[in-house]
Amino acid sequence: MGAVKDIPARAVPKRALDYAEPILPGMIPDESELTAGVTIVPGRSYGFFTDTTLCIGCKACEVACKEWNALPADDVGLKGTSYDNTGRLSANSWRHVAFVEKIGGDLDAGEGRGTERNTTTMPPFQSNWLMMSDVCKHCHNAPCLEACPTGSLFRTEFDTVVVQQDICNGCGYCVPACPFGVVDLNVADGKAHKCTLCYDRLKGGLEPACAKSCPTDSIQFGELPDLVERARERVDSLHERGATDAYLYGAPGSPGATGDLGHLNAFFLLTDRPETYGLPSAPTRASNRVAPALGTGLATMAGLTMVAVALFAANRRS
Amino acid sequence: MQQDLQTHKPGAADRPYQGVGYYGQPALKASPFGWKTSGYIFLAGMSGSAQILGTAADLFGGPGMEKTARNARHVAMIGATLGPLLLIGDLHTPSRWYNMLRIFRRTSPMSIGSYILSGFGAFSAVTAAADWIGMKRVARVTQVPAALAGAGMSVYTAALLSSTSTPLWAAAPRLLAVRFGSSAMACGAAALSLGERIDGRPGNAERLDRVAMVASAVDLAASLASRREYEADHVAAPLEQGALGAVHKIGAIAVGAGIPLVCHAINAGRRRPSAALSVLGSLAVLAGGMALRTAILRAGNRSAERPADYFRFARTPPNTLNERKRTLLPDTAARRVLP
Repeated sequence: MGAVKDIPARAVPKRALDYAEPILPGMIPDESELTAGVTIVPGRSYGFFTDTTLCIGCKACEVACKEWNALPADDVGLKGTSYDNTGRLSANSWRHVAFVEKIGGDLDAGEGRGTERNTTTMPPFQSNWLMMSDVCKHCHNAPCLEACPTGSLFRTEFDTVVVQQDICNGCGYCVPACPFGVVDLNVADGKAHKCTLCYDRLKGGLEPACAKSCPTDSIQFGELPDLVERARERVDSLHERGATDAYLYGAPGSPGATGDLGHLNAFFLLTDRPETYGLPSAPTRASNRVAPALGTGLATMAGLTMVAVALFAANRRS
Repeated sequence: MQQDLQTHKPGAADRPYQGVGYYGQPALKASPFGWKTSGYIFLAGMSGSAQILGTAADLFGGPGMEKTARNARHVAMIGATLGPLLLIGDLHTPSRWYNMLRIFRRTSPMSIGSYILSGFGAFSAVTAAADWIGMKRVARVTQVPAALAGAGMSVYTAALLSSTSTPLWAAAPRLLAVRFGSSAMACGAAALSLGERIDGRPGNAERLDRVAMVASAVDLAASLASRREYEADHVAAPLEQGALGAVHKIGAIAVGAGIPLVCHAINAGRRRPSAALSVLGSLAVLAGGMALRTAILRAGNRSAERPADYFRFARTPPNTLNERKRTLLPDTAARRVLP
């Protein structure tokens, strides 16, 4: 099977055999070595590579995230648009699985608009379903962090972006700053919330809950350079096999990693335009607009002040 | 990872964009800012600019404008006292307001503004207090830093809104700053002009009306220019349609800039300026200033909830985003983001 060849075989350390007992005496040191093939070391850069061609829409990531982070349900109800009843990321939903069913010509921009296609004539790729587990992107130049006036949002030793709940005063400026609509205020506790990339688990040597629970390895956790390399190989392999729609979103130099954002520590392999998944194709770094706005504004004030001084000085003479 | 910049492999993202989104779900979150924030932006602008005008009057206006300076110091105290209350009231954890002064972050206009407001408040309070107890020389010195902070108070709020991902606010950072700044100066002048009318110094009121007239003209020009900008970026709709459109077009532009421009221009041409026209112009400036802040803030929140606006806006080649070039490249070209 070609698909199996794709996923690089990660050597399982021999010490995995040490933990074969059904009941373990305690936490496994550096457990991420066994589950993700990566050792978590402070000072290195970690992130997610979410390969949407492997996503089966099981929402195990959403559930694992809610369980580990003790997040309540947002809205128990049916959206009526797809199997996605979460809708969007929020203060209480840090993973969100998007579902897009591709039937007919409208959604399929590849062959031009209006091309009538249906499930029997479409190539059997991903069952004609696009599914994507969305998450905070942990941007390299994170606009939320750059906007935070209290220093509550900070960059951790794992190169991730986290809100410190004991400092956040709920000003809410990070909410409109985020170019992906991720950060959200919880009005119940008056603080901003978002994915922490399981900061607490990383400190304990554990892979983030969503990645660990993903049954197809659609969500892969690892060191960023390794993930980018792995992702590029995956794109090459998909292109070789004819899936030429595949591309990376948020990896260095690709869509999503635009506007001075650098790169996204959580990046994606997509097979349709970013907007189809609710992602902007060229997000920007909000703080690049501080100097133009402030500079122009102060220049305006200086000019108007000169006018006032001239009028008042004339007043004095008269 | 610099060498990686050339390795983007084209895929579906290089197809032309056909306006498809994700079930109409907003791709952004709107700011939680409401009437307290727009009220603060208005008061901060009026008080900050009043402090500038007061300082200019004190230093350059001669003895005839001494009382104008004192009025200005009182107007400045409105922003210095009510401003922080409005802002703290807008926090979702107000008891931690002091964390605003925990760090300084130059990428965050909210952080920059916290220090501008603190400095403005402190220097304005010292200036006003020194004036009251008769220490004119102290007031004359401390009013200068207060006026400098006042300039910041007038415009940093525009930088604050622009430095977000909200399409309407981000589309024209420079023009928004010109609008907020000129409207602030007009509001400051209008408030002081009303004070001069009440105190019976029509000569000073006329000079202040001239300042308001010039500022209103700048405001009007920037309003028209920013409208073109918003339309070029396809983000204008929330500011053009419905009740908010009326608040913006009638309230902010016609009443806020048009009426004062006409009133003060007529007065400027008359040998005996009419007090009624002057007062009408001043009141229109103040009402329009509040309408401008309300319209921009609420329309921005609405624009964040419109995914089509954002997807169109976030297709602009990022390297030109902060330049004046606003031509949208063809979709496929816009997608090529290599520097």
